[in-house]
Amino acid sequence: MPSAEGSRGQKGWKLGSGSPPPLGPGRERPERGRAGPRCQDPQADSSISPLPHLESKIQQTHSLARLLTKYAEQLLQEYVQHQGDPFGLPGFSPPRLPVADLSAPAPGHAGLPVPERLRLDEAALAALPPLLDVVRRRQAELNPRALRLLRRLEDAARQARALGAAVEAVLAALGAETRGPRPEPAAAAMAAATATAGVFPAKVLGLRVCGLYREWVSRTEADLGQLAPGGPA
Amino acid sequence: MPAGRPGPAAQSARRPPPLLPLLLLCVLGAPQAGSGADTAVISPQDPTLLIGSSLQATCSVHGDPPGATAEGLYWTLNGHRLPPELSRMLNASTLALALANLNGSRQQSGDNLVCHARDGSILAGSCLYVGLPPEKPFNISCWSKNMKDLTCRWTPGAHGETFLHTNYSLKYKLRWYGQDNTCEEYHTVGPHSCHIPKDLALFTPYEIWVEATNRLGSARSDVLTLDILDVVTTDPPPEVHVSRVGGLEDQLSVRWVSPPALKDFLFQAKYQIRYRVEDSVDWKVVDDVSNQTSCRLAGLKPGTVYFVQVRCNPFGIYGSKKAGIWSEWSHPTAASTPRSERPGPGGGACEPRGGEPSSGPVRRELKQFLGWLKKHAYCSNLSFRLYDQWRAWMQKSHKTRNQDEGILSSGRRGAARGPAR
Repeated sequence: MPSAEGSRGQKGWKLGSGSPPPLGPGRERPERGRAGPRCQDPQADSSISPLPHLESKIQQTHSLARLLTKYAEQLLQEYVQHQGDPFGLPGFSPPRLPVADLSAPAPGHAGLPVPERLRLDEAALAALPPLLDVVRRRQAELNPRALRLLRRLEDAARQARALGAAVEAVLAALGAETRGPRPEPAAAAMAAATATAGVFPAKVLGLRVCGLYREWVSRTEADLGQLAPGGPA
Repeated sequence: MPAGRPGPAAQSARRPPPLLPLLLLCVLGAPQAGSGADTAVISPQDPTLLIGSSLQATCSVHGDPPGATAEGLYWTLNGHRLPPELSRMLNASTLALALANLNGSRQQSGDNLVCHARDGSILAGSCLYVGLPPEKPFNISCWSKNMKDLTCRWTPGAHGETFLHTNYSLKYKLRWYGQDNTCEEYHTVGPHSCHIPKDLALFTPYEIWVEATNRLGSARSDVLTLDILDVVTTDPPPEVHVSRVGGLEDQLSVRWVSPPALKDFLFQAKYQIRYRVEDSVDWKVVDDVSNQTSCRLAGLKPGTVYFVQVRCNPFGIYGSKKAGIWSEWSHPTAASTPRSERPGPGGGACEPRGGEPSSGPVRRELKQFLGWLKKHAYCSNLSFRLYDQWRAWMQKSHKTRNQDEGILSSGRRGAARGPAR
């Protein structure tokens, strides 16, 4: 990042005293007569290519997805710990059901064009927050003292929203169409239903939602990796 | 789970999804039965039981096509397969389970009782809640910080171990009128505490109690009656300063300011001071520091760093007859006593521990002798005080010797001498 020190940052050099000493690598020179570097609007000057901005955006979103993949894994581990065995045991494998408005990435997902994959990623990330909220509310009844789990579920909903918005911005920057009007989420109906459903099915449903969250952020990370500098695209 | 069980993808490809998925599809608004699914139901669903009690459960399989059998089904509890002798087929489609002498639930979300198909897939689940009803909470104590709020804490009955989530609710009301109120800010000073931040009346008693509730019942503590003014505490005294007292090697002066929040109400206050040597964990407490804001510590070691803290008890607020509640200790303040100026040959000061004054020509000669010692000897800090200490010891020793000789002469022959010193 450019230093904001300006004249203060250089020993023995004062503003307007002549040629400034050479700067170290990676540092931009502030404009003469101004207090420090300023952020230029890349679109104000049409000679500046939008490509570095897009690359930077993709890189940032990819990094975010990588971080959230790690968090999603931690959420899943925390979740199974509080449901008790057999949740979390190596052989435990409840049926992987489709959840309303959301299913796991299809086997053919990786074969789609990158913009289409990102559209599907964005749609899934938009569907996840209300589902995570439902799971959090049910877990607040089942595990009221599991404060870290409840906080992770709340954070996951927020993070899914943020990653979805970032992917949507990348799609817009690529000039790709984003999804059309989104259907009303079925989360409200799901919330009412899970409130009356048995505890074991509610635990399984929560596991499914946490698993889907992990699958989709991981999928998003992989798809963005195709576009990030150094990726195949 | 049995070894060699095929993965879920293979299961899905080979057979219709079992009941649990269908339950979840129902939950999620998907079509009901008749979709080609095996179904199973565990009864009872999510029961609550006392520790040591028994459970009779059934897993009933329905199927499409009809005639799905309970043959080969088995149970697990918290991931452990239950012995076959605990199960029996009630009929072709129902497997029963009998569990006796149940232990407390392993997790708050309930023990997972699962009915499995022959291939290990999950057909249905039910969560067991095994525990104890709450016992009466007790030992409620409350305090008010500067008369503005009230914090209470209590001890859960039976040391809190009910194996079930137990909810504690602190209730309070004005003794002679008013409705029950419920405290809302929990866990402020520990897991069993609650804080009432405002809207508290003074000069009128409150009744306070705690209600404990879980799936197996509830219990209520005894009622504590108190007036806010009788349980007031305050902030630690601010601006604690510790300084030397001139060149006195064994003294430090401690000064502080009375807590500002109560300065308009504190007609009386008690203070306590505690101090310790820097590398010690043993505090010494000066207890009777009443209504003053300074104190001189004496009898300290020279050349030593001391940590000092002060706390305040705002008793007698608005005429309350009860002792208040001590504040927290102030942050430690450190200071050191002056070093001795002339150390002796052993490195220490020859300090007397007290003595009696004496007079006369002996003292004049002694004074001259001591003056000569200061110039010509290492042990130059001898003083009259040390001489007086010696004289007192000599007198006492002489008296003791006379008493012993008196005793001996009445019962024995020969003199007894005290130990050489």
